[in-house]
Parts: sequence; structure tokens; C-alpha cells
Amino acid sequence: MIAILVLIAFLGLCGWIAYAAGPKFALKRLGGALLVLVLVTFAVSTMLQFTNGDESTKQALEDLGVSRNSQPCVTALGTGASVENVNACVEDRGLDENLFVQYGKWTKQLVIDRDLGLAFYKNGEKLSDTMKQRLPRTAWLFLYSQLIALVLAVPLGIWSAYQAGRKGRGLPSWAMPAGVGLILLIGIFGGFRITTLFAIVVAAVALYSIFAGGRLADNNTNFLAFALLSIPVFVLGETFRYAFAVERNVYSLSGYQPWSSGAAEHFKSIWLPAIVLGLAATPVYLRLLRADMIQNLQQDFVSVAKAKGMSNTHILLRHVLRPSTVTLITVLGLNIAQLVNGAIVVEFIYDLDGMGSYLIAAFARREFFAVQTIVAIVAALFILTNTLIDVLYTAVDPRVKADADS
Amino acid sequence: MTNVAQEIAVGSQHAAEAQAATPGGDGKRRNVLFGLAVAWLVAVVGIVVLGWIFGESLPGLRDPAAINQDAINAGPSWRYPFGNASFGEDVFSQVVDGGRISLFVGFSVTAIGIGLGGAMGLFAGYYRGVIDGIVRLIINVMLSIPALLLVIFIVTIRGQSLANVILALSLLAIPALARIVRASTLQVADREFVKAAEVLGVKRASILAREVLPNVMPTLISFAFLTTGIIIVVEGTLSFLGLSVQPPTLTWGKIIAVGRAKLDVAPHVVAFPSLVIFLTVLSLNFVGDQLLKRFDIREASL
Repeated sequence: MIAILVLIAFLGLCGWIAYAAGPKFALKRLGGALLVLVLVTFAVSTMLQFTNGDESTKQALEDLGVSRNSQPCVTALGTGASVENVNACVEDRGLDENLFVQYGKWTKQLVIDRDLGLAFYKNGEKLSDTMKQRLPRTAWLFLYSQLIALVLAVPLGIWSAYQAGRKGRGLPSWAMPAGVGLILLIGIFGGFRITTLFAIVVAAVALYSIFAGGRLADNNTNFLAFALLSIPVFVLGETFRYAFAVERNVYSLSGYQPWSSGAAEHFKSIWLPAIVLGLAATPVYLRLLRADMIQNLQQDFVSVAKAKGMSNTHILLRHVLRPSTVTLITVLGLNIAQLVNGAIVVEFIYDLDGMGSYLIAAFARREFFAVQTIVAIVAALFILTNTLIDVLYTAVDPRVKADADS
Repeated sequence: MTNVAQEIAVGSQHAAEAQAATPGGDGKRRNVLFGLAVAWLVAVVGIVVLGWIFGESLPGLRDPAAINQDAINAGPSWRYPFGNASFGEDVFSQVVDGGRISLFVGFSVTAIGIGLGGAMGLFAGYYRGVIDGIVRLIINVMLSIPALLLVIFIVTIRGQSLANVILALSLLAIPALARIVRASTLQVADREFVKAAEVLGVKRASILAREVLPNVMPTLISFAFLTTGIIIVVEGTLSFLGLSVQPPTLTWGKIIAVGRAKLDVAPHVVAFPSLVIFLTVLSLNFVGDQLLKRFDIREASL
């Protein structure tokens, strides 16, 4: 079912490229994507050779009556594995053959037999079953975090770019540091919790920026985004876990609840990880959108629109935001990689049993075959999405095709 | 994947950021912040290096593994500025000790990335042709696997040691820097003085070394700071997940990983290393960003 959908999507993609950009261009683009995909999966499959160990290990394995190259299988099955099991695994993986046969066997199993292999060799759990159970959690986490990031980043980015070229209210420059200092003094002597105090300071700076407007507002937004960008995801996650799950009992670390147990339960179980992942992605989008919009605001067509008497809102949303959206979508695609990194960390922190925490478990148990398959799938998704966006870009912006042709 | 769209996006990101996106307000305030960031970096590197050389003979530094039964999970005090961990270990000494690995990995990976990635990008951007094709393919292949996934994969396959962590992170830094240097080289190679040198019949290798390289250098230096920050974060994440160097070697991420189990009774064990990582990365990002802006010739005029 899923395979058919993917196939339809792929055919649709081919047709769309051929239509939007001409067959020669389409061939070039798709061929490039396919080449990268093959090279990535081949590189991943080659990396397993490093688990083979040195000559003494190989000799020891031979003495035990199994193949010289069976180290990956022995690692996957554990030291208590029987000789037959190891031999079956070696046969299954083609470890005695050369690299290309191994790669061929693996891809044939993946693509033609649509068999993902085992999630855990030690207990024979199927990877497809694991994914059926765990993938929805990660998928919802991705979706919510991206929604949060966009809801925060797009309005803030537009507002920030708009304020950058405006005159503010001309408030004295010492007002903000003095205000923040006052709040800190009150907070420290009033015995506020540090997390509360921090939230109050951020809120006060935000309110002050909205009131003041102008370059100051732009600078403050930018600085907050810059600071947020410099916080590692695991620091952000631990801080939020402390503030909401340890210090206060707002979020309970009781594990994921699916939609079937009710929307309220579902959101209750996932909101904090989604916010953490969303906040990590927000500054990337915010800064990009702001910078891109400022560039667009300096174009001649903005002056023309202004001269025609269009309202600021209309110019911002229709003439400036529109071209910037394309850039934003490109970065959304590129950010998938960042999202996967974030998901591994966030799921680890919040004990959310998604694909990220499965990966950590698989690494800890040395289940390289499953990890290899997942890395390949993630890379394939990444390449596919970005090719799609690339083509979308071509359809929207003819300059890209002109660049590629030259 | 021919990443024209990506390159445009990345390019406009750089151009636009160099143009206006540096936070911190106008000139004077920005200079103060720049000074603060540099001061913080110098202080952190200085204290970590001094702690490395002189060890416990420095005042305030103790054995990071020493057990102190009187101060289990004690909060910050004058004697122990960062408080004590679950066996009464001095968190400040742990942070100074852990900084060795974190900073060493950050700097060495950046050096490798600049050396190899920079060379790749420079040759690809100037000589074009087949070299360019190969380098672009390498870049695209490497960057289509999510960074953390790739690093964890390599580290678990090859074993958890300092050399392997550096190797894995270098594989991350090389293509990323190669891509940036290549884009920058393409821009420089298009300028008049390079064309003039070519017309005058100067050897290409000589043009590369004497005309192109000095003009790519500013971008390279700015991105060296940004890369160091990113590498410190990734190494911290690896340690946090328990996949970096083996215990008992400390890193900043590992202090947090150990402390997170006792977050309810001793939050300071997580808070102080987190704060140090955050401020270090923030300073590195800010310095890199500022340098990128200051080196940007488009803003200057005669």
C-alpha cells in the first residue's frame, strides 16, 4: 500500500519535473538524486566492514567454525549465538561475498522484497513491526514541532523585518537594562524561582520591544533568536524538563498516548517535547525569513507598490512574503536533517519511545543491520524531499533553471 | 541532487545575514558585546589550559573525582562555586577538567575541517571541471545523512575513543566547510583582479595561492568560529547520549548526562555546565558572525 503510494508520488514527481522544466533538465535532476542516493546507501553498507575486526578476531572466528567475516553477525546475535544461527545470518547478509554483492543483496531485500529485516537480531523482532509502533510518535513530534516553529517564526520574522526600517518610539536607551535590572532585583529578593524569573524577564523584554518598535524591536528579536540558536537541544530539553516536569508538575513523563486514547491525552503526553523541538527550529526560520524579507523590501517593486498607494500590510504579505516563502520552504527541507538530530535527543530526554530512542537502543545493543537500514531510509527521504523542493523552486523561480543550464 | 536551490538559499542566507542580521544593536553596543564574547572565550580557554598544565596546584581546583561526604549534592557556595555532585565532587573542577576534551575536540576538528575541507572547496571552486564535480558529489553524499546519525553510526562501529570521535566529527565538518569555501571561491574567481592576473599569464596555482586564497581567508576564519561552536554542541550531544569518549574521562556533556538523573535534588550539577556550554557557543557564534560582517567588503567604501 505504502509502496504504491510512494511509486505514485515518484511518477507524479517525474511528470511534474518534465512538465515544469523540460525533459533534459528533469533527467539531469533525477539522475543526480539517484546517483547520490546510491552512493549514500553504498557508503553506509561499506561502513559495516569496519566492525570486522583485525586478523586475530578473524582467526578466532574461524577456529570456532564460522566464517572469517562473520563478526557483524556475531555482534548482532550476541556471544551466546549458535553456529547455525551465525552461519544463517552470514548467508542472509552475504558477508562472505564482496562488497557489491552484499550491497546488491541488501538493496534487493529492501526494494524488491520490501523486507526491512530485523529490528533486534537477539530476539528476532521485525523492524517493520517496530516502525509501525514507533514511527507515528516521531511523525507527530515532527509535525507539531514544525507547526510551533512556523507559528512563532513567520509572524515574528515579518514583524521584525518590518520594524527594522522604521522609526521607533524613541525611548531612552537605558530603559530596558534598567527595567530588566529592577525585575531581577525584585525577583531575587522576593525569592522567585529562577525559571519563573527567567520567563518573566523574557516576557518583559518581548512586551517592551512590541511597545518600543523600530530598530530596537528588531535587534531584540534578533538577539533572542541568536541566543536560542546557541542553546544545544539537550540543554534546552533538560531545562524544560526541570522547569515543567521536576520543579512544577505540569508535564508528566508517563509516556506517549496515541490519538485513539483521546485528543486531550495525546496532546498532554507530547506538548513539551514538541515545544522543545519547535523552539530549536524557530531561530533558523526566523533569522532566514527576516534577512530575506529585508532584502526584498529594498527592491524597486516595493517602492512602486508604495507609490501606487498600497497599504503596508498588503505590500508585506503579497509582495514581500511571497518570494520569501520559497526560500523558507527550501530551508524547511534542509532542516529535516536537523530535525532528526533533535528527535534523537528529545526522545531520549523525555522517554518518548519513538524512532529516535529506538536508534539509541539499537546502537547500544550493536544492531548495526537495522541501523544501516534506517540510515538509508532517512537519507532517501531527505534526498527525495529536497529534490522535490528543488524542482518546486524551478517551477516558481525561472532563474534557478537558467543557473543550472549555464 | 544538483543543489542549485539549496545553494541559492544558503547564498542568500549568507548575503542577507552579512548585510543586516547581526544582533546586538548599533556600533558601540556591538563592540561591547564583541569584547565580552572574546573575553569569555579567552577566559574559558585560559582556565581550561591552566587547569590542564597545573592541575590541583591551582587555587580553587580539586581532584574532579574526589569524594566528599560532607557536601553531597550541596548547592553553590564560596568554597565550591558550582556546587557539588552526587558524591560530593566539586562541579567547578569537573567543568574545568571536562573542558579539555570538549574544547580540544572542537578546535582540532575545526583545524582538520579547515585544512581538508578548505583545500577541497578551493580547488573545486577555482579549477572547476572534473574536480568540481567530484567534490560536489562528495559534499552532497555526506550532507544527505543527518549529522548526528552519521556521527553516532561511525563512533559505535569503530568504538568509543577520542580519535574516533574526532574522525567522525571531521567527516561532518569537512564537507560543510568545503561547500562554504567553494561558494566563496566561485565569487572571488569571478572578480576583476583574478581575471586580470589570468590575462597577464600568471600561473593558475600562483593565482590560487596569491589572489584567491587571501580573499577567501576572511570567510574561512569567520566560519572557523561558527564551526567550532557547532562541533562543541555535537560533541556535547554525543557525550550526553553516552556515546563519546569512555568513562572516566569527563566532558561537559557527560557531566550533564550524569547529573540529569539527580535533577530534582541537584539541578546545579546540570545548570552550570549547561551555562558554560551555552555561553561558549554563544560567544563563538557571535564572534564568527561579527567577523563575517566586518570582513564583508561590500559594506566598505573607498
